Amino acid sequence: MNQSEPVFRLENVTRRYGDLTALDSINFEAPRNEYLSLLGPSGSGKTCLLRIIAGFEKPDEGKVYFQGKDITSLPAHERGIGFVFQNFALFPHLSVFENIAFGFRNGTMNVDASEIDKRVGEAVEMVGLAGLEDRNPEQISGGQKQRVALARTLVMQPKLVLLDEPLGALDANLRGRMQTELRMIREQLDVTFLHVTGSETEALAMGDTVSVLDSGKIIQTGAPDEIYNDPSSSDVALFLNRFNLFEGKLEKGSFAGPFGEVAVKKVQPNDRDMYAIRYDRTKAYKKGQTVPGPALPAKFLASEYLGSSIIFLFETVDRKQVEIDHHLSFGDPDEYKVGEEYVLSWDPAQALVFGKEATQ
Amino acid sequence: MTVDTIRNNRQKSFSQLLLAPGVFWMLLFLVAPIVMIIYVSFWTQTTFSINSTLTLASWKNFFSSEAYVGALWTTLRLWLIVLSLTFIIGYPAALFVGLLVKSKTLATVLLVLCVIPFWTSFLIRVLAWRPMLGKEGAINIILQKLGLINTPIEALLFSELSVVIGMTQIYVVFMVGPIAFMLGRIDRNIIEAARDLGAGFGRIFWKIIFPLSLPGVVVGAIFVSVMVLGEFATSGALSGRKVNLLGNIIVTQVGSLKWAMASVVGVILTFLLAVVVAGFLRIVDLKSEL
Repeated sequence: MNQSEPVFRLENVTRRYGDLTALDSINFEAPRNEYLSLLGPSGSGKTCLLRIIAGFEKPDEGKVYFQGKDITSLPAHERGIGFVFQNFALFPHLSVFENIAFGFRNGTMNVDASEIDKRVGEAVEMVGLAGLEDRNPEQISGGQKQRVALARTLVMQPKLVLLDEPLGALDANLRGRMQTELRMIREQLDVTFLHVTGSETEALAMGDTVSVLDSGKIIQTGAPDEIYNDPSSSDVALFLNRFNLFEGKLEKGSFAGPFGEVAVKKVQPNDRDMYAIRYDRTKAYKKGQTVPGPALPAKFLASEYLGSSIIFLFETVDRKQVEIDHHLSFGDPDEYKVGEEYVLSWDPAQALVFGKEATQ
Repeated sequence: MTVDTIRNNRQKSFSQLLLAPGVFWMLLFLVAPIVMIIYVSFWTQTTFSINSTLTLASWKNFFSSEAYVGALWTTLRLWLIVLSLTFIIGYPAALFVGLLVKSKTLATVLLVLCVIPFWTSFLIRVLAWRPMLGKEGAINIILQKLGLINTPIEALLFSELSVVIGMTQIYVVFMVGPIAFMLGRIDRNIIEAARDLGAGFGRIFWKIIFPLSLPGVVVGAIFVSVMVLGEFATSGALSGRKVNLLGNIIVTQVGSLKWAMASVVGVILTFLLAVVVAGFLRIVDLKSEL
């Protein structure tokens, strides 16, 4: 297999549950030795996609290729694809060591006992679990369980590891640490990670490439900064949770929204007319002040202090919440009075416009 | 004394109050009777009366009688046979209900179906085997009609076989229930994780499913053992008095007012049960599993 050939590829994969189409003719491929993250809201079909790649479910239509071979009808235990479960799914009656050795002892490979000791030992070392080999899963912490689940899979030296919301069961502090660690561990090995998550920050932080899944379709794939700065549709902008989105009407290069009419230059194709401006590019002005662009009257609701920045929440006349992210490195924030009317504005050049009358 | 210790003491005396009825009940109806039958087993029995002069006569009598010791062995043999059969028949059924049936509703319905025979009385369920197994019973008639046998099989009824069949049918559900419950609690992700690591079905069964269902097997085995070891009705109704279990001996001894001998058998049976239950509890630590 040469370096450029994808490690796995999905071809028109469709999966239905009764009337519900969980996956709708998905075409997707992953290069060798990469960290891919797949962002999707709950119910987007992301777990279903992983289960089909792993072989726990069969697609109704389409084919799955792994290392150049069609594995669509190959049972899960013969695929050699790693899977890390959200709840870790450790074997509760086996020690940490035996959990990690399970694949050697019970899999298709024939590995002798001294080799098992050596390789499990290395895996234990790699994920930093030395000294805990004889513990039972119930005697270790969440983060340690995560490491056992990872070691158990990686020790088999798979070329592809599927991670189903692997950080979902950990607390925020640990999640941050495991993010770095997951990336570091992957970089030591020649393996592709496909990390599925519902968290936009996690998807952007982890992936060399990010794909966005919505209603059974992959709607955008790209580098994290590409996705962040240039979402291809209003749905992607919505999942990123960094944009104030406004509905309106786009006609002849002009967008009419709750903030009045704005002339727009570039419009991305979309099934609805939407106007998006990032939280950190939206600013609030006192009534009567000159504003740099559109003027959206809004009432101040509350603020959230996040350490490096403050989020201000405003509410427009039609009861829509608008967020402003003020980074504290740009100086102290203005003081706003709860319940008072302000005018929100932004530089119209920084807005993204989506609509049926696309310019491209 | 601080307020805290007063509160602690109050809590303590309150929880003791909650325990009191249970403790009283157990003392009166479990501990006292056991002490009593141990005591009575050493009393002196004459043909028509019993007095509290202590003697080993009844114990010597039990162990020197071929019939009594034979009953002990029959009880142990039947217990092991019925226990094995309930496991062999019950485990696959539990596997189906607890693991292979995906819908929880269907699993519950199936378990309830297992319990439906209990809506009729115990005795009727036992006696219903007579028209099934008898010389002119359903099974013999069918086998003859099919031409598989010429003369009816007489060993079917009033034999050890009929007692084994009857007991297995009655008690198998007590094996199925706990095992199905344990199997139902196994996280499906664990099984998928094992598959993902390359284990085939056989490996997954022996390395994951069976060990995790073991507490259910032990609970089921305790249920079945306790009931089979104390049995007398099934053997009475289906063996034609040919199979005597320790339970049957107690019934006849009490019937002829031989309290001392009945107590000896009672003590032996209680001891046997204690050993069996303790033995099963050593296999798994139920406290940590349930």
